[in-house]
This record gives sequence, C-alpha cells and structure tokens, in this order.
Amino acid sequence: MGFIKRSLLSIVRNKVKSFILLAVIIVLGSLIAGAVSIQQATSNVEKNIKERLGAAATLELDYEKLDSLSEEEWMEIELQDIDLETIKQVGELSYVKYYDYNMSNYFGSKSIKSFQGDDVEYEVEYEGPSMDFMLKGINYAPVLDFEEKKGKLVDGRVFSQEELDNGTYVAIISKKLAELNNLHVGDTLTLVNEVYTFDNKTGKEKLVNSRDIVLEIIGLFESQKVKEDADGNSNRGMFDWMDIDYQNTIYVPNEIVRSETQYQMEEYMKADQEFAEMWEEEGSSFEHYTPMYVLNNPEDSEAFEEEVLPLLPEFYKVVSASDHYDSIAGPVESMANLSKYVLIAAVIGTVLIIGLVVLLFLRDRKRELGIYLSLGEKRSKVVSQVVIEVLVVALIGITLSLFSGNFIAAQVSDSMIQADNSSMDDDVIYYSELQPDLTTDDVIDSYEVNLSSSYILGFYGIGMLTILISTVIPLIYIVRLNPKKILM
Amino acid sequence: MILEAKELNYYYQDGDMRRYILKDTSIAFEKGKFYTILGQSGSGKTTLLSLLGALDTPHSGTVLFKGEDIKKIGYEKYRRNHVGIIFQSYNLIPTFTAVENVLIPMSITENEVPEDKKTVAYNLLDYIGISKEKADRPVNKLSGGEQQRVAIARALATNVELILADEPTGNLDEEMEQEIIDIFKKLAHEHEKCVIVVTHANEVAVQSDQSFLLRKGVLTSNE
Repeated sequence: MGFIKRSLLSIVRNKVKSFILLAVIIVLGSLIAGAVSIQQATSNVEKNIKERLGAAATLELDYEKLDSLSEEEWMEIELQDIDLETIKQVGELSYVKYYDYNMSNYFGSKSIKSFQGDDVEYEVEYEGPSMDFMLKGINYAPVLDFEEKKGKLVDGRVFSQEELDNGTYVAIISKKLAELNNLHVGDTLTLVNEVYTFDNKTGKEKLVNSRDIVLEIIGLFESQKVKEDADGNSNRGMFDWMDIDYQNTIYVPNEIVRSETQYQMEEYMKADQEFAEMWEEEGSSFEHYTPMYVLNNPEDSEAFEEEVLPLLPEFYKVVSASDHYDSIAGPVESMANLSKYVLIAAVIGTVLIIGLVVLLFLRDRKRELGIYLSLGEKRSKVVSQVVIEVLVVALIGITLSLFSGNFIAAQVSDSMIQADNSSMDDDVIYYSELQPDLTTDDVIDSYEVNLSSSYILGFYGIGMLTILISTVIPLIYIVRLNPKKILM
Repeated sequence: MILEAKELNYYYQDGDMRRYILKDTSIAFEKGKFYTILGQSGSGKTTLLSLLGALDTPHSGTVLFKGEDIKKIGYEKYRRNHVGIIFQSYNLIPTFTAVENVLIPMSITENEVPEDKKTVAYNLLDYIGISKEKADRPVNKLSGGEQQRVAIARALATNVELILADEPTGNLDEEMEQEIIDIFKKLAHEHEKCVIVVTHANEVAVQSDQSFLLRKGVLTSNE
C-alpha cells in the first residue's frame, strides 16, 4: 500500500475531516474564484474596448501643459506648427501600419441641403453664410476612415493616387446627404467658397469675393459606428450630433482644401491690408495638417509615443485612441481594483486558514505519521501523502467553487457596476481628433463574467498554488516529528 | 552476532548536569534467541530499545547490525529493511483494517516481498491467530490481544530477522500475555528470528533464553 493509495484511503476513511476541509476550501475558493472571474472580465473589457477604440494615434497640442504655464512663460514661448516633414517622418516609423494627414475647411452651398438628422421636426435657419459642409482633405487614397471602419464605402470608388497628387475635383459624400439631395455617383455638387470681411462699425459681414467649388461624386459612404450602435444607449445626444457632422463631411484630395483655403486667404488679405501685413510679418502659414496614424497594434501605443515625442516641437503630445479607455472605464476599473484587493486578501486568508485546518488535522493524526516514520517510511513520502490528501480534496473544492465563484462574481459585479455607474459624473466632454464614440455604457455592456478557458486555467493555477503554499506550515510540522516521542 | 550495542551513552541535560539514562552500555544479541531486558519504570529500558531500533540516536557509542554501524546503513533504511518494532500500545492505524495495517510496511520496505502481498498478509495474520474475517475489520474493532497480534504480524511482514518489542504484554491479561510470549518463542526458535523484548514483568523474563537487568542505566546479565 503505497503512499498514494494511503492518501486516497485516508480521504475516504476520514469522511468528516475531509468534508470539513472541502467545505472550507469551497467557501474560500469561491472568494478567490469570484475575484479571478472579475479580474478576467475586466481585463477582457479592457482588451475589447481598446480594440474597439482602435490603434489610431494623432499629434496634438498639449493643452494641459499649456494651461499650467504662467503668464510670463506664455509671453516667452513661441508655438510652432508640426510641419509636413515631421508628419511624414513619424509615418515612416515601424509601428505605423498606415497614416494620413488632413487639411479641413468648412464651406456652404446654395444648391444642396445639409443633412440635419433622420427625425427633423423643424429646419434650423441660420443667419449669415452657411458653413454646413466640411471638406476633409485626404492624402491616403483608400481613405483612413474607411479602413478604420468609421465609414464604409457603399457605392462608387475611393480616390486614385493620381487624383490625390493632381488635386482633381472629385469627392466622396455620405449616402444620406446624397439621398437628401437626390445625388448619385457621377453627378456633380457645387459648394461655394465665399470670403467675407467683418465690419466692426456696423457689425455686419461683407462679401468680398466668391467662387464655386464643383466636385464630381465618385463614391458614397455610410457611417459605420453609429449604425452598429443603433440599438445602443439612452444617452447618445452627443453622438447624434457627431453623426450629423460626419454625414455632412465631404472627402476630397488635400490639394483641393489647400487651394480653396489659399483662395480664401488671398482674397481676405486683399480686403484687409492690415491683416495682410501682420500675416506677412509673422510668416504664418494657412496649411495646417492634422496627422492620423494607425498603428499595427494598440499595444504599441506607448513605444510609439516614446519614439515620436523627441521628434515633436515643444508643447505637442501623442494622443492614442486607447488613451480614452481610462476616461470611460471608471466603474469597471474600480471593480478591477476591488477584485485585486479581494484576491490578495482571499489568497492570504486561504493560506492561513487552510494551513491551520490541515495542521489541526495533522495533530490529530500525529500518531499515524509517527507509525509511518517508525516503519522506515521516508519523510518525503509522508509529506507527499499529506499533500496529495489536501490537493485531492482541494481539486474537488476548487472545481465546485469554480462555478459558485463565477455565479457570485456575476451577481456582485452587476449590482456594483450599476451602483458605481449611477454615481459617476459624466459631464466632462472635451474635444479631440480622437474623440471616441464609445461611452461608459459601452464598457459596461462589454463587461461579461463567463467561464472562459483563461478564467478556468487562471483560477486552477492560483487555487492550487494557494493550497500548496498553505501546506507548508503542516509540512514543517511533519519534518520535525520524532517517532520515539510520539510512540513510546 | 546479529545486533551489538557498544558503549552507548544517553543522557538528558539538566542545566549544567547530565542525567544519564544509559552509561557506557554494551550488549550483544544472536539470531534464533528470545531475549528480555528487565527493568523498573525509568530504568532506561525503553530508551535502550529505541536506540536499538533507530527510533532515537545515542549521544555516543554505536549500534552494529551484522557488524555494520546502523548510522552508516541509515536510520530510516535500517528501520525499513532490518527491524520490526512492536509497541506496548500497538500503534496501529485505526482507520485501516488489520490486513491494511500489515500491508503498509510491505510497500515501504526494499526487501523482497512476494507479489501477492495481500495473500501473504492474510496468511501471516492467520499464523498469528487472526482469522480472515477479523483481518478485514478496522483494527479499532478488535480486542487488545488481537491488536497486538496484528502489530506482531506487521513487524514480521517485511521478513526481517530482528524483532524489537516494548512492553508488548503490558496492556494484556495473563492468558493473552502467555499467548504472545509463545508466539515470540516460536519466532525465535522455529523461524531463527532474534526477538528482544523490553519488560518490567519477571514472568516474561523467566521464559526468555537470556535476560538482562537494567538498573539506573547500567546493564547486567540476569542469569
């Protein structure tokens, strides 16, 4: 009867003690399993949301840093633009999958109506020139927004490199805008580039000059993310507004935006000599490009930032889409923190409690252990016998608590997240090129406690390791046993 | 000689004083004989037996098994392969049956044991006077005499030549005591074992082939 058989027989023959040990392991195991469940669920949320946020990054002014400057420091600094060369240099880094840089400008139209939403009860009339349409310049022919699933080409084609290089007057517009104005691929639409001056005395604007921008429609797109979220959340006002803005966006080659902006500037300077002189003196440029990089992997964000920062002018920073995770993941983050502490406490508690329970049981079996030693059994085998006994019971207990812990975690985290979410202050909205269209509700929606393989493996690993550690104290006890003192 | 003890010293340290339990004790034993070591409580007879059985180690002196120092053999290995020990309070594992108790040393020893261990264990118990029906009972359901028989069977299970017994009849009535002594005699005389029994009972000592008297740590032949 080897030590393994002795272990199994002892479990069966000492039913009451085995049951007590099992009950203790189930209770403590459920705590650990619950904490591991929540940890796994929160880390899945982080992965999932960061994936949905995408691997995009841009370069922006660091407004927080600028805000912290004193008035004197403000007078001394000279803010530089990021030049095209730097944008391209960053785009060549190995982390970058593809990139684009955009120049944008707003224009109105006398021939087409702008999209104002699906359920417009009344039309909003603005005084003064209309600036409803944003021309978004493109330098990446397949259109980065389509590649990143912000929009989807549903008719026609994307740009050719030749059109981008030559600044051909072609455009991709939203399907909704096209339907509203009965436009199709191959049709033309006309925007108007009007230049106004403002008369300080009368407080009125005066038209200086204007010219038409005639664009041939080569493609139609649909907004993707809003469509996906159609069943979405109650608080989507901001995203409706963002969607309206996107439906009125017109993709064109960068060169068109540059040339139309140049026209605006030149005509304006003709009308305002003072402004022209100041502009000349400061050597300012009207070419402002916003770069947008898509990284190979969202996890590259930190390494990318580290490499890019030295290339940027002062007061610029790298903003990654995944940076927004922290701002929307409040309830889940606090859940993750809580579960981390519960896990640590449960593991320490388990080590101590199981250790003491096993030690107490072994004290009762001191004579039996002494008998094995008196028969010449190796101490290592006596130790192994006890460890196997504990581990077999632990394995059963851990397997049962795998389900109970998961169930408890689901119940507890649901109520905690809801309570946490309702107390969150979500008033703060700031604008960024990478403003996510995901909310805290999306984070909560993607939070799901389930029996994944990583959870099962993780829990078995932590559980069995904890039980093993908890047998250390009893093992020291066995090693110190003296058979003569026990038996004679 | 199968077993020899040479100049064994064992003491308790009491402050600066050493309280000797055994002082320069030497003794030798042969195969095929039944020995008793007689002594009053506290005379050091159990300590001597624990040193002979390698359950404890002397402060000085050596124990030789077939001329080899048991320290060199290894205390655990010596207990595993060369000696069977019987205790006054039987020291059986209460949750196991009689036959399971006999099977335990058979799986621990490195001595050659027949393949069909269970049959051997039943036969051994039967030889000692435990029927198959009783062999399958948990040992705590057996009488004191029956438990001591199981303990003897366990000591013999590894086919060792040396049997050490510490007050084996101390908890038994007279009739049972005699039956156990008869078993020891049989083991020594018919099976060529060396049986060493520590006892305080003169009636046991008088039945042995050779008896030693231990008084205040000093051993003398009781002939």
